[in-house]
Amino acid sequence: MTKNEVMIEVENVSMRFNLGIEKGFSLKQGFVNLFKKKKEKKKKNEFWALRDVDYKVKRGEVVGFIGSNGAGKSTMLKVVAGVMKPTKGQVKVYGNICPMIELGAGFDMQLTARENIYLNGAVLGYSKELIDSKFDDIVEFSELRDFLDVPVQNFSSGMIARLAFSVATIVEPEVLIVDEILSVGDIAFQAKSEEKMLSMINGGTTVLYVSHSIEAIKKICNRVIWIEQGTIKKIGGVEICDQYIEYMNGK
Amino acid sequence: MKMINNLLYSFKKYKFLLSQLVSRDFKVKYKRSVLGVLWSLLYPVLTMAVMALVFSHMFKTNVPGVNYLVYLMSGLVIFNYFSEASNLAMSSVVANFSLINKVYMPKYIFPLSKCLFIGINFLLTLIPLYVLILLTGTGVNIYHLLLPYMFACLFLFTVGMGFILSTISVFMRDMFYIYGVVITLWTYMTPIMYDMSFIPSNLLIIFKLNPLYWFVKFARDIILYDVVPGLNVWIYCAVFAVVFFLIGIFVFKKNQDKFIYYV
Repeated sequence: MTKNEVMIEVENVSMRFNLGIEKGFSLKQGFVNLFKKKKEKKKKNEFWALRDVDYKVKRGEVVGFIGSNGAGKSTMLKVVAGVMKPTKGQVKVYGNICPMIELGAGFDMQLTARENIYLNGAVLGYSKELIDSKFDDIVEFSELRDFLDVPVQNFSSGMIARLAFSVATIVEPEVLIVDEILSVGDIAFQAKSEEKMLSMINGGTTVLYVSHSIEAIKKICNRVIWIEQGTIKKIGGVEICDQYIEYMNGK
Repeated sequence: MKMINNLLYSFKKYKFLLSQLVSRDFKVKYKRSVLGVLWSLLYPVLTMAVMALVFSHMFKTNVPGVNYLVYLMSGLVIFNYFSEASNLAMSSVVANFSLINKVYMPKYIFPLSKCLFIGINFLLTLIPLYVLILLTGTGVNIYHLLLPYMFACLFLFTVGMGFILSTISVFMRDMFYIYGVVITLWTYMTPIMYDMSFIPSNLLIIFKLNPLYWFVKFARDIILYDVVPGLNVWIYCAVFAVVFFLIGIFVFKKNQDKFIYYV
């Protein structure tokens, strides 16, 4: 548990998407492809979302990812979260991950809030015992006690977001992956959720954080990785943010 | 050895998720229906009634020496399990893309949970089957205790098929339509409403390549003819189950990392 312990190792990760796929999943296209030369087929419409990305994150570091739209930030997080397997290279994560890439994964609109807490918890990899013991905390934090047995489809989107946020943040993960979700619910809940996030971050958790809000990055991160066109442009302290703003303004 | 260990570990870890997915399906299935879970019992009875009406009254189908209703029902219950479970399993991966895209979880959990969910439903449909067996005076015997062997084989076979179908359907959504036709053909190629004596002897070999034929035969030997199924029936059941299960695992495992590109 030393401060210098490496938590995340990303080694030469490349991630290739095939943009042509959208058209290519019908029998007709498959048939047409049969008559094409192999090379011709392969080269077309390739897109490298990440190219030879290589970095390490130590315990307790809060790393912010910046870069323009489509630079590969979210792909980076998904690769670390294990949602995607890199085309090349490998990712090692030492410790349990809480991926807050999108909240409310697996919510079933027809089920009640109570049922969804268990379902969503299971999807996030929690055990039944953990949810049982934290159930009251979740309900308390979401302020939805009166609506526990109401099907979620009758909720407002803000209420759903509150429930989802409350379920996602009850664990104390060793690695927290956040993709711009700080602001959910009304103003009061936004303040509350931000405070909760900050307390999780300051609790010594290792954090990967993607945001377009440079302000937020400067506030919470102690290391910044600037990704542009799938490669790392710069790694360093928060001073990179200013160079990034300059770059974006010059564009 | 390491692979088995990993598998056991992941199974233990995701057991709760599996049970949540199965119970979700159950809750959603009967939400807002007046009769609720009773439909699981009623539905096969009604299907059987329709088929009995059509085949025994209009086409005068009969199977000598046994009660036709029980004959029909025993085949139907088994075939329905397979067709429903394999169908749901096929679409399960595509239907859960929004999840696969956000959180890591083993993808086999989706087809597996569908096979389990319909499996519980299948156990419920045994109730009307047994009521029918008693009402028609067909009677039960001690060999009925052997039936779980066939259930296990049927389950493994269906899970295997579910793995194969869900993999194909990720890459080729055409599979949903193709399989609909295949299932219809399969219904008529399985002796559910007719007896094997209808089949010309030169075509018999084709019918016997159908795994479901063996599962149905296993059940009927016991339920209708009060005999222990022959050794060959036991072997065919096990071979089809294990072979399809292993092929399914192989196909699924080999392709699952590519699923994400076909969202």
